[in-house]
Order: sequence, then structure tokens, then C-alpha cells
Amino acid sequence: MADSRPRWPAIQSLLDFSITFMWTFVSAALLFAFWQISVDFFAIPSYVLPRPSAVWNALVAGTVVDPTSRGSFWYQLADTLHATIFGFAIASVLGIALAGIMVEFRTVQRLLFPYVVCLQSLPKVAIAPLFVIWFGFQIESKIAMAASLTLFPILLNSLEGFSVIERERLELMTSLDASRWQTFWLIKWPSALPFVFTGLNLGIVYALLGTIVAEFLGAQRGVGVVISQLQSVSDTAGVFAMLVVLVVVSYLMISFMRALQRRVVFWSDGSHSSDIE
Amino acid sequence: MINVQRSLSEIYNAKSEENLPLLRTVGLTKSYVTRTGGSVFALSDISLALADGEFVSVVGPSGCGKSTLMKLLAGIIPGSAGQIYFRGQLASRAQRGMGVVFQSPVLLPWLTVLENVLLPVRVLRMKRGPAEERGRRLLALVGLDGFEGKYPKELSGGMQQRTSIARSLIHDPGILLMDEPFGALDALTRENISMELQRIWLANRKTVFFITHSILEAVFLSDRVLVMSARPGRILREFRIPFARPRDFDLTTSLEFNHYMKEIRHLLGAKVDG
Repeated sequence: MADSRPRWPAIQSLLDFSITFMWTFVSAALLFAFWQISVDFFAIPSYVLPRPSAVWNALVAGTVVDPTSRGSFWYQLADTLHATIFGFAIASVLGIALAGIMVEFRTVQRLLFPYVVCLQSLPKVAIAPLFVIWFGFQIESKIAMAASLTLFPILLNSLEGFSVIERERLELMTSLDASRWQTFWLIKWPSALPFVFTGLNLGIVYALLGTIVAEFLGAQRGVGVVISQLQSVSDTAGVFAMLVVLVVVSYLMISFMRALQRRVVFWSDGSHSSDIE
Repeated sequence: MINVQRSLSEIYNAKSEENLPLLRTVGLTKSYVTRTGGSVFALSDISLALADGEFVSVVGPSGCGKSTLMKLLAGIIPGSAGQIYFRGQLASRAQRGMGVVFQSPVLLPWLTVLENVLLPVRVLRMKRGPAEERGRRLLALVGLDGFEGKYPKELSGGMQQRTSIARSLIHDPGILLMDEPFGALDALTRENISMELQRIWLANRKTVFFITHSILEAVFLSDRVLVMSARPGRILREFRIPFARPRDFDLTTSLEFNHYMKEIRHLLGAKVDG
């Protein structure tokens, strides 16, 4: 078999990355220049659209300040990330386990599926006030909100993964008189994994979204809390700075999940989308 | 009815332990209930016997229930009527003494070639050490020396199918059931892999039940060729193929060989591609 890969894959990918990075840099420089000039030229008030330089200053101020003070991004971000990761973890375990149980036990599936459909159609953000009543203004209600938004993409994609398994793989196991347990762990679980990851990739984004929403509605700490506070004092540059922080965090989380996916389901080409959510 | 069949088989067993067929079916029938409530027969009254070490092919038109027959024998699906006896015992579910090769290789993409071959070992909870040794030998037998650590994606279609043949042999099954195993391969690869299969069979002398729609392949490889009718599938006739082994592909151009091909083709009403 001929080896069609480039001779120096590391150098090749570094080169590709450098070129992509360069274009991104050029694009960003153009955007910021245009933005700064427009704000000055049209005399846009800073509470409508702050200058990029003002956003930068707010960003630096929030980053360098003592990390234990309320003015620090780190202080606020820590709480947001805490809720996001916990909510995500709970939803992942619950979603994958539920999907596995529903696939293995048809009765459970028949019993639960109506609720899945109902809850999935419900705009989950609308139950956030209930979480505040049940869990208070502490981190628990944020975790609950993050988990409830994250659960469905993971559950539905996992269900899809478990139900589209190549029939012959199962027939092979039947021909070997394999137990149900063996068929599940040797065939069904790994076959479903690429779909599970599609759900997890969506889920991590939803977890952050859920946390921020919960913070808007009522919380003591977190990026969402800061954004609504800054908004109430018309510190638009500060709001923009927080958005930049969120973009970076979100990007890092997604990249981490993608890297994990490539490592765990290395055999899959990553095109396992079920078009759910 | 079932009791009669059973006692008959017991008498049969008692009479001749020596000539006992490895696998035998009696009146095997498979019918499906259609949406309108009627029933459609996929297979009707199949009675056949496979002797130990025999290579038997089944040819028949598309949709005649060849694959259904294999799935019944493998215990993948239950029959509607009739019995299957494996080593003289009534078989009601999958038998661990069978190896199955499907039309597609059905390799697991997350396992290496060797791990794929060892899958039955894991399922049947056999000892890992000696099995691994056997797996390497089987891979060498199917010409995949040095590919143990590769993943299925890195193999060509023919190599993947040879891996699945190695997998079907790893637990030393009494019977190899093959359902159009070369159907997805190109003509040249098919010819090569047919030769390979003959070599593997000569090395192992397993009983092979080989389903194909290629008359040439069937005649070339088999001791016996069973010809099936269109749906509902039943066995029309069997041909004994006497050529000495190992057979060479030049044989396929001989007059006698083509005589068999012609007979079978006529029987099938020329509905099957040679």
C-alpha cells in the first residue's frame, strides 16, 4: 500500500496553522481598525459602541487586578466555569446512561420517551426561575440550569448512536452466542461513541449558555452577574470585555472536546451528526 | 411431528456414529408475516446434510433466501418450522462451533486487525495467550503477515475480507458459514481470494457452507453444489464436483468444468450471472 501522507506531517501542519493564523490576524486587524475609525468618525457614544481600545483597557484591568477581588475576571470566571463543568458532567453521565438504559430496555424507553419529547420541546430557559426557587441563588441553581440544557443534546445524540448500529455487527455477536452484556460493551457502546461525542460537543456549549442564563436571572457570582451589573451602569466596554472572555473560554472548551474526540474515537471521521438541536 | 423427527434422528445417531453428518437440517422453513397479514415463504422445506470436511456451495437467484438459510444455520434468526442438528444435537440457538463470514467484512474500526481476529476469543472467554498465537498464525495463513497492528481502515477490501475469514476460524469452529463473502470485491481480487480460500480450506479441512451467486466460484471451490429455486427457496438439485485438488484456475476453461457450469445455469434459467 502506498503511503499518501506528506513526508513531514508535523511541519506541514505547522505551516498550515501559521497560514491560517496569519489570515486570522490580518482579518482581526482590519476589523478593529474599521471599528475604531467608525466610532470616531460617526461620533458613536461609548455606551452604544465603545472603542476597541476601551474594550482592551477594560479587559486588561479585569485581568491584572487581584484575582480574589470581585473586580477580577478570574474570580467571576471561576464560578461560571465551576457551574458549567459540573452541569456538563452531570448531564453527560445522566444522558449517556439514560440512552444506554432506554436502548437496552424497551419498556423503559416506552415509559420515558413521552417525557423526553415533552421536555425537549419546552424552552428550557423558562424553567430557570423554578431552579432559583428550588436551589436558591447559589451555584446549585446554575449547575441545574446548565445540566438541564445540556442533557437533551447528549441524550438524543447518544440514543441515535445506539440505534443506528450496523445490523451485521449485532448478527456477528448473535452468531457467537454473545451475552447481552458482551454485545453492549464490545459493539453497541463503541459503535455509539462517535454520536455520543457529537452530543458532548454540543453539550459543552449549552452548559456555558445555561450557566450564563442562570446568572442573569439571579446569582451571587459569575460572568453573567457581572454582565448584567455592567449593563445597569452602562459600562458597555466592560460588557464587551466580558464577551471577549466568554469567546476565549468557549473556544478553549470546544477545542478541548474536539481534541478529546479525535483521541477517543480516532476511527471516526467525525461526521456523525444526527441534526438534533 | 417434532417428536417423530427427533426420535428418527436419535435412531439415526445410534446407528452410525461414524457417518454422522456434522450439520443436518430437516424440513427447515422460514416464513414472514406480511403487513397485510398473509405469510410469505422465504425458504421452504430445506433438508440438507453437510459431512465433516466437506465444501458445499449454494447458488440461486437473488432473493431466493440463500442468506436467510445461512442466518438460520448460524442461529442468527429462528426458523418457522423444521430442525437443525449440529453434531447430532438439536440446535435451537447460535452454536459456538460455527464461524460466520458475512458479505461485508464487519470489522470493528476501533480494533486492530489482530484484535478483530480475536473478537470471538473475547466473547467465548477463551484463553488469551494461545489464542493470540493462533491469531497470528491465521493472519499469516490468509496472507496478512505483518498487518496485526493495523486498523481496518488501512486495509483494502480484499484484505479486510481475509481478516474476517481469519476471525471466523479463530475459535476453531466445526463449520464455516460464508454468505457471499466475495460479493463486494472486484473480479481480479475475487479470483485471487478464491484460490486463497481453497488453500486455507486444504490447510484446515473445515466444513464450509459457501453461499454465492457466482456459478464459477461454486463449481471451482466445491465438493457439492446445491442449486436453489427462486422464492420460496427450495433445493432443486445437487451436483457433485469430482475434480481433484488443489484445483487450478486453468480448470475453469476446461470442457468438463464448463459442462457443470452450463447445467447449473440452465437449471437456474440463466437468471444468474456467471
